[in-house]
Amino acid sequence: MKESLMDILCCPLDKQDLELEVVRRDDDEILDGRLVCTECGEEYPIEEGIPNLLPPDMREETPA
Amino acid sequence: MGVLENKARARLFYKYLSKVYDEINPFIWNEEMRTEALDLFGIEEGDVVLDVGCGTGFATEGLLERTENVHGLDQSIHQLEKAWAKFGKNEQVKFYRGDAERLPFEDDTFDALWSSGSIEYWPNPVDALAEFRRVVKPGGSVLVVGPNYPHSTVFQKLADAIMLFYDEEEADRMFTAAGYEEFDHHLQGPSYNPEIAITTVATVPEATAEDEEPLAADD
Repeated sequence: MKESLMDILCCPLDKQDLELEVVRRDDDEILDGRLVCTECGEEYPIEEGIPNLLPPDMREETPA
Repeated sequence: MGVLENKARARLFYKYLSKVYDEINPFIWNEEMRTEALDLFGIEEGDVVLDVGCGTGFATEGLLERTENVHGLDQSIHQLEKAWAKFGKNEQVKFYRGDAERLPFEDDTFDALWSSGSIEYWPNPVDALAEFRRVVKPGGSVLVVGPNYPHSTVFQKLADAIMLFYDEEEADRMFTAAGYEEFDHHLQGPSYNPEIAITTVATVPEATAEDEEPLAADD
């Protein structure tokens, strides 16, 4: 995902701002990392460039 | 209540459905119907549009003919993989995994929102419609295509067992409960079955009662 998407993303649970933690990037493309809610602390993974913003109760245990 | 109203079951269902989806899809929601719905949607080049439940990307493809700023959200990784094969993962379309009823976007992010062939699987459609209203700018369009009744007998039986079907009266109730004031329903379908889909185009209101301060009781 592009870093600029941080402007429009929020926590799906409480709609508060997210903080980006980058693990791997390729120019402005974030390939692996985490989005962490600044309010509730819930973490959303960025996997292979795709942010997984499913609420925790809908996440699969193992990545498909 | 259909069995897909359990989201874990919906995911498992899609894991298998995604294998055949594009083959069965043209029978229930074809390019002609898509073009008709896109005309009703009325977006312009440059509009930022969210496709909720984008799945394998059939509608996404049509949206890209009208604007280059398309975002796609789906809960199923298996459906999304098909879409990535068509558009690339990070090139033409911005993709997200997420839940229609709990969208991960700020208020007033999009100019318009499209969702086709997805509402029949949401446990709480009104919650999703209210979320659509929140993320679309006032005056923007929200288009929802409802139950695309499958043409094959096998899938008809499956659909009858698991999906939500609704008529115009129920659509009125859902959109009103979700805070919309202005909307129209259009029945769509191929010539052999011209009313298999219900397409609703709603306009996001400037403000709704729940956004305003409650009036103090006059006692």
